[in-house]
Amino acid sequence: MSAGRRALVGLAVIGCAIAPRGSADAHEIGTTRVAVSFAQPGRYDIEIVTDAAALAEKIETVAGRPRSMGSTPATLSDTRFAALDTVFRERVRLEFDGAAAHPAISYAIARPADALSPPIATIHLRGDVPPGAPQFTWTYAWTFASYALTVRSAGTAVSTQWLDGGQTSAPFPIAAPPAPTGGIRTAWRYLALGFTHIVPYGFDHVLFVLSLFLLSGRLRTVLWQVSAFTVAHSITLGLSIYGLIAVPPSIVEPLIAVSIAYVAIENLFLRELRPWRVALVFAFGLLHGMGFAGALKELGLPPSEFLTALVTFNNPKKLVSKILRVSASLVSSAAPIKP
Amino acid sequence: MNRLTSARTRMPRHSSPWLRSLLFHRLLALVVATIAMSGATLFAHDMWIEPTTFAPDAGEIVGVRLRVGQDLLGDPIPRDPALLRQFIVDDSEGRKPVVGRDGLDPAGYVRASVPGLLVVGYHSHPSSVELAAEKFNQYLKDEGLDSVAALRAARGQSGAAAREMFTRCAKSLLLSGPVGGGQRDHTLGFTLELVAERNPYALAAGQDLPVRLTYEGRPLAGALVVAMNQSNPSERQAVRSDKDGRAKFRISGSGMWLIKAVHMIEAPSGSKADWASYWASLTFALDAPARQRKAS
Repeated sequence: MSAGRRALVGLAVIGCAIAPRGSADAHEIGTTRVAVSFAQPGRYDIEIVTDAAALAEKIETVAGRPRSMGSTPATLSDTRFAALDTVFRERVRLEFDGAAAHPAISYAIARPADALSPPIATIHLRGDVPPGAPQFTWTYAWTFASYALTVRSAGTAVSTQWLDGGQTSAPFPIAAPPAPTGGIRTAWRYLALGFTHIVPYGFDHVLFVLSLFLLSGRLRTVLWQVSAFTVAHSITLGLSIYGLIAVPPSIVEPLIAVSIAYVAIENLFLRELRPWRVALVFAFGLLHGMGFAGALKELGLPPSEFLTALVTFNNPKKLVSKILRVSASLVSSAAPIKP
Repeated sequence: MNRLTSARTRMPRHSSPWLRSLLFHRLLALVVATIAMSGATLFAHDMWIEPTTFAPDAGEIVGVRLRVGQDLLGDPIPRDPALLRQFIVDDSEGRKPVVGRDGLDPAGYVRASVPGLLVVGYHSHPSSVELAAEKFNQYLKDEGLDSVAALRAARGQSGAAAREMFTRCAKSLLLSGPVGGGQRDHTLGFTLELVAERNPYALAAGQDLPVRLTYEGRPLAGALVVAMNQSNPSERQAVRSDKDGRAKFRISGSGMWLIKAVHMIEAPSGSKADWASYWASLTFALDAPARQRKAS
């Protein structure tokens, strides 16, 4: 396994470790992970990534073969696993509406990057989804530890279940066939989600942008403040999404409330834009970006589509900001609120 | 399954007692493995340390792998900072932390900087688990926790589910260089701890290995202490610890050995659990086969 891949596996494990656990039965979390994908219309592709030596020992023991007393990477091969395919299948079960599927299984063993790292087996189970099947369940009994089962259908968010070895998953719904272009679909989805987040749930952000506008209706004043806000929140939004910074909501959310109150009160005493006001809006923008990051994460952001989602989720904010500015401009020109 | 079925049907045709015995052991191992794996949905899994080598050369870096499973069939557990309470190595130079990267397997690395015995220990924070009555009762039986079962029965709780906090206290003994006189296991101060009272690498043929089980630093009597060897985990030796917390085992086979014990008490009032369990384990390997000597 390359250093990059190893780091990815590590990140996945850490990510899994910090994710909320669904089951009350909490065994230690192992290194196995299972990802189900319905990306190709009418097909399923299940990827199991697991420690090759530990799996080989278990399969061979159950098969009645003498215990190999540990398998070195040199003795672990794709063909050795393929020879034990029948035994492996006995403890893996994929069911579509209660009917067992019979996938084609391929085994690939990656040599470890160094002598201390484990060899990793990547096993793919592929086949056709029975036409019209609305759901499926998954059982994997080749591990004693807990593992994350992630299911990804095009057009739906990634969903995760925590399972113990041998435990059958709750039924997963199978989504409708994916749209032909995943990128555009993701963009549209997050654009829509951005709107639905801002308008009903993001009232705090709406209030803040409104407060920026209410200082003065002059285009220059609005432009300076909104630009500072946009740049600032884009910075922290990006940093938070990529996990480079993490500030708990219990700190961020009250500070966002303070930011709105402060800007609104200041509007009463300030007559024109001052440089420190722009600096302050920039600082508050940093806070709001962290608030947005929390919302974006809750939506189930696919890692491969961070950028698309980030840009399109941000756009509605700008769009909503514009709509707000035009509305507020119309209101304030009809009834001036500044003394 | 065809292979297994044909092995079973062929067995009676062999007349050689040696071959019959061999096949019988194979069959026994198979049954045990099948039971172990079918128990993957169960709860009472052992946890042990399985280093990449039990016999490091001077200066060699060893991967300290954590394993959870049954009958020494285990799954790797990556380093989880949320669970890690103590992860240390004790050698003749003193005590040092076992370093590692979060989320990765092996969970830690140690360097055999000086010849002698390395005592590696992993002590976890408690994890919670809730078990149905039937599962919990079976688990108490399997681990010899009779007093807890009796207490539950006396309180009329045998039919009730149980919430438990479990803590791992795993140790492993590695030997770098030749066997020497002053080499001995150390007490690491774990809540439940198994301490080898003799260097297992220095055992003469026919000599038993005495171990001592302590709970909060004091000898624990009456606990079920079990020893098993990797080559045949179904042949386990189970002994109740005496009043001094001692149990003795005949260490006759090569390969990795696991000695383990579980202790359970009532969870402190105010906690969200009914019971608190502690899982002690001790691993070492004699006449180490290829893997124990070198990972690859």
